[in-house]
Amino acid sequence: MLVLNDVHKTYRMGETEVHALRGVSFDLPPAQFAVIMGHSGSGKSTLMHLAGCLDVPTSGYVEYGGTNLTSLSSRARADFRYSDVGFVFQKYNLVGNLSAMENVALPLLLRATPARSAHEQAAAALAMVGLEDRAKHRPSKLSGGEQQRVAIARALVNDPSMILADEPTGNLDTATGDRILNLLQGLVARDKIVLVVTHNPEIAEMADLLVRLRDGQIESQRVQEVA
Amino acid sequence: MRMNLFRLALKNIGSRRTRSWLTILGVLVGVTAVVALLSIGTGVQEAVLQQFEDIGYDIILISPMGARGQGMQAAGAFPTGGRIGSTGIGQPTETSETTTGGTFSPENLLSNDNEAEAEQTAQPQLEGMRDALRRSMASNLDAGLLLTQVSELTEAGTLGTEIHPVKADTASGFLRVSTPSVDFLEAFPSVLGGFEMAAGTGFTNPTENQVVVGARSAELLHLGIGDEITISGVPFTVVGILEASDTATEDGELDEADDGFLSGQSLTQNLGAAGSTDLVLSGLTNTDDSLFVLYERATEVLGGQTMMSVTITRVAPGASISETVDAINVAIGQQEASGTPTSIQEVADEIQGTLGLIETVLASIAAVALVVGGVGLMNTMYTAVLERTREIGILKSVGARDGQVMTLFLIDSGLMGLIGGVLGLILGSVLSLFGTRLLGPSLGVGSFAPVISAWLIGSVLAFSFVLGALSGAWPAWRASRLNPVDALAAE
Repeated sequence: MLVLNDVHKTYRMGETEVHALRGVSFDLPPAQFAVIMGHSGSGKSTLMHLAGCLDVPTSGYVEYGGTNLTSLSSRARADFRYSDVGFVFQKYNLVGNLSAMENVALPLLLRATPARSAHEQAAAALAMVGLEDRAKHRPSKLSGGEQQRVAIARALVNDPSMILADEPTGNLDTATGDRILNLLQGLVARDKIVLVVTHNPEIAEMADLLVRLRDGQIESQRVQEVA
Repeated sequence: MRMNLFRLALKNIGSRRTRSWLTILGVLVGVTAVVALLSIGTGVQEAVLQQFEDIGYDIILISPMGARGQGMQAAGAFPTGGRIGSTGIGQPTETSETTTGGTFSPENLLSNDNEAEAEQTAQPQLEGMRDALRRSMASNLDAGLLLTQVSELTEAGTLGTEIHPVKADTASGFLRVSTPSVDFLEAFPSVLGGFEMAAGTGFTNPTENQVVVGARSAELLHLGIGDEITISGVPFTVVGILEASDTATEDGELDEADDGFLSGQSLTQNLGAAGSTDLVLSGLTNTDDSLFVLYERATEVLGGQTMMSVTITRVAPGASISETVDAINVAIGQQEASGTPTSIQEVADEIQGTLGLIETVLASIAAVALVVGGVGLMNTMYTAVLERTREIGILKSVGARDGQVMTLFLIDSGLMGLIGGVLGLILGSVLSLFGTRLLGPSLGVGSFAPVISAWLIGSVLAFSFVLGALSGAWPAWRASRLNPVDALAAE
């Protein structure tokens, strides 16, 4: 269960304080597909960073599986990101001098996984997103859609319990986008939390929990009725 | 895990090939300079010390009183290269240029056609110099008596040296005549390079006028066994021709450019070693240019009592060198003679100290180049951190710990340092091989090899890796402290 309780996040930009999140609270149990919507600057990305332990709230707390992430050390937060979180960024965020395979294997290589085993797992993850034949290509040789799929494969490779995706289908054609959404829904079926930040109302339709943000606050929150 | 980080670092170096190589080049130049200078420096030291070892650390030389310190001035005044008349056998005679300081070698002989003119020009000058030398260099020490006076000594012998006009059938000129005593030849043949005969029997009778000729002198004077020559007008019979010394080239031809006498002398002069002892010693390092007459005979027929001479003694095994030197001083007093004892050990220590100092200074200068390479590496790593900020954010987002990010950058810079170190070691070794070939003759130590020890290899590699890692430490630490969200937001 992911719990955000009265989370505030304030950035200081020079003399100015920017209140990115102002008292956001919601619970997200396992096997849920959550969608965060809102205009630019509404705090969507900040919320995703806090949920994925890339950042810590200024006040309030974030809890995952009963652990208060806010109080963790830098090292423990890194370990949490490794074991429980898979990020899919809007800008893909692939390492330019590594091949698709190496990019996907990167999280495993940072731990004690032997290179061969890491590459086998990476190949399997690439196959899940239909890119097994592009494994040796560098990001610069891949289309935007292919890069996004590599990023998704990387997010899945160490089998995390929570996937956080920022516009995961933003750069994909409809067919590929649908395929990725099916993939994400399949993860929900495997008891994983999937939290997607998007402007796409079609994705919002699929959400178990839809949170609309406005100026750092929850404007509306809708829980999908179980059919 | 470390292995994986190592692979990632290698991948990164490979992907930024041009910049990585330029950075490595900076380290490479520094390491090359350090390796070349240290290996050549150690090689020179060992070669010089080997020369002393060949003579023997148990040897004490006794030079005439007043020679120490003044010796080098005397050496400068000594007609080592009295070039009189022509510059080669059979060449037209020119007027005398100098009797001091030039190169002494048998090439500077006269054809007999010009003999009269040469003697006329040279004789007064030579006599003048000889007189000057006699005043300060004459030794009146009795080597045999000394041996009985100082119980620590096992052997003692006298070796004199003087320039004489020498005339053979085809050429004439001024050559150095060394005069070892019978005792000297028995006790210290190694000092004269073994005194091995290439032809002839060597000295057989101290009461006859016998001469042994150095290899180059024999060649240029066209001398064979049994030939007659005159030394200062006194007739001598050639009874031996020496084997060519090490300074001769391997194919048996004598290397005319390599004047062992001059180079040996300049070495000891440059290193500030002591006195006429060194003059005689330096002369000993090359026997090719000399003629040899027994001291006992020379004192009778060549006025040898007044020639510049040293007494060479050997200390008994286990006896204290310094105590023996003291005892020799007492003995000299008892003989009412004059002389200054100098142990080979003392001279070697003096030279080793000077060489060590020179080596340290050179290595320090080379180390500056290495530090400059390190600064270049630091600059590259700092730029890399700026360039790879987003990549650092990605690494952190997929679970990299701060320490891992730091390690990754440290391996990166350490590897570049190490690669620079390995290549610098190879290049430095090659350069030192060429360097020793070039320097050997001019330093007067003949051919010598650079010393590239395991210690040098190990420490250069370790140092270059540590230099690389240290240079990358601050940029790496900075990278590890980046906030992942800020890093990911970097363009």
